[in-house]
Amino acid sequence: MSASDFVVVARSLTKRFKDKVAVNGLDLEVPAASTVGLLGPNGAGKTTTLLMLLAVITPDSGTIDLVGQRLPRHRSRALSKVGFVAGYLPLPENLKVREALTIFAGFYGIRRPETVISHAIERFGIGHLTELQSSELSSGQRTLVSIVKSTLHTPALLILDEPTASLDPEVAGRVRSALLDIHREFGTTLLVTSHNMKEVETLCDRVVILSGGSIAADGSPTEVAAKFDTEDLEAAFLEVASRSRKFGTADDRLAGDRGGEHR
Amino acid sequence: MSWTRIRSVVLRHWIVLRRAPHRWFEISVWPILDVMLWGSLGVFVAKSDTTSRAATPYLLAGIVMFWTFTQAQFAISLGVNEETWTRNILNVLTTPLNEAEYIAGLVIFGMLKMVLCMATLTVATVVLFDFDVSELGWGIIPIAALLIINGWALALVAVGLVLRLGQSAEILIWGLNYLLMAVSGVFFPADALPHGIGVVADYLPTTQAFSALRELLDGKPLPWGTLGVSLVGSIIFFGLSLALVVWLLRLFRRRGFVTRYS
Repeated sequence: MSASDFVVVARSLTKRFKDKVAVNGLDLEVPAASTVGLLGPNGAGKTTTLLMLLAVITPDSGTIDLVGQRLPRHRSRALSKVGFVAGYLPLPENLKVREALTIFAGFYGIRRPETVISHAIERFGIGHLTELQSSELSSGQRTLVSIVKSTLHTPALLILDEPTASLDPEVAGRVRSALLDIHREFGTTLLVTSHNMKEVETLCDRVVILSGGSIAADGSPTEVAAKFDTEDLEAAFLEVASRSRKFGTADDRLAGDRGGEHR
Repeated sequence: MSWTRIRSVVLRHWIVLRRAPHRWFEISVWPILDVMLWGSLGVFVAKSDTTSRAATPYLLAGIVMFWTFTQAQFAISLGVNEETWTRNILNVLTTPLNEAEYIAGLVIFGMLKMVLCMATLTVATVVLFDFDVSELGWGIIPIAALLIINGWALALVAVGLVLRLGQSAEILIWGLNYLLMAVSGVFFPADALPHGIGVVADYLPTTQAFSALRELLDGKPLPWGTLGVSLVGSIIFFGLSLALVVWLLRLFRRRGFVTRYS
């Protein structure tokens, strides 16, 4: 595979917060049009890794090429092909859904967003929400709108941080279906963090388990389970979590800063 | 720079202003209250001393120009704070919008707000105190331009401090404004300030701009020398503020402070 076949190429990525290592020499390649789950117990370095890939946090060392663009120099160009959805991230409260979509379409450089937004609203079946303000949406509706917002520009890579956290199973299922539709129709790569192993098995061909900021396992869900001699991904995850429990990591501190349990 | 992205920043803040009645206070109610306060004080002083430079026109022209400075400051600092209040910073930072485009959008939106604020102030001063600041002529424009540059510079300092210290530092957005108001001789010459503070005030580009305003009110020609010195000071202040905010933005990214707002 050539470099252009990857949407993420991270080399020797390291991030410390004071004396704690959040990400420790991480090497990660994500091929285009793949679906990858980034897993790990709280504080494993998942969110820090995602935020470095999005150029929101600067790594202490290492390099990142995002959709073929070196960060942070070509951040703007790279992010024009990337979408980001986080279950914990609200839309601006004082905007109606259609207004928020119009504004974010503009941020993504879409000059005449009306048609794009109309198609997206139809595709995701959120026509009844367009005149509501973000504060009036349920968690599931907010996540759906966030996905719509982050895919208006048909990104090559969609990064999802706990997309179905706090959603009921029915809504979570709809969100997963929507994500798989986007992946199949547009070849959008999905890079997902989740603590729901069933969800990861549904969405992802490959999983990368982080522990203490390093990769503890990398392969298909079946391969990862086999590596830890467990019967499924959840058991493998629990095995990694129990091993890493001894170590407090800097990502825990980050989660504490936000008051988030899983971030 | 993408005009589409800049336009979206303007639209985002215009919708917020249109939707939130309390956001109109900073371009209508507070400036009118200031006009009432300083105008009445001027009338009172003028009654006891008709030759006083502190009479109504000086105080009203001072407050109108101070609001020019304030609106320039608020345009950027309150714009960034709108994103922190609505936990929208991470949403914005993960789009292709870059810092220069974002600030450009805020500046354009701020200019629109400034026009509305100036219209309000002009009507208020004319109706309440029969004083029309536009009668000072074109000389008011370079003075306003200098104050706008200084407002932007102070806003960058405030934004940098909010990025570094968190939302609790928002109080500085208002506080820094009034600090500069107190030491810039908005209504009086700097030599009226306590000794020591007056010496510092002499070096501030805002002091020189307000001093030029008083010359204009005295009917003298525009003091281009004073304005030139103010321009140099304004450029230095703006450059230092820009360097500070760029440095603090790098620190913001390096230390992962974004997680405070998400």
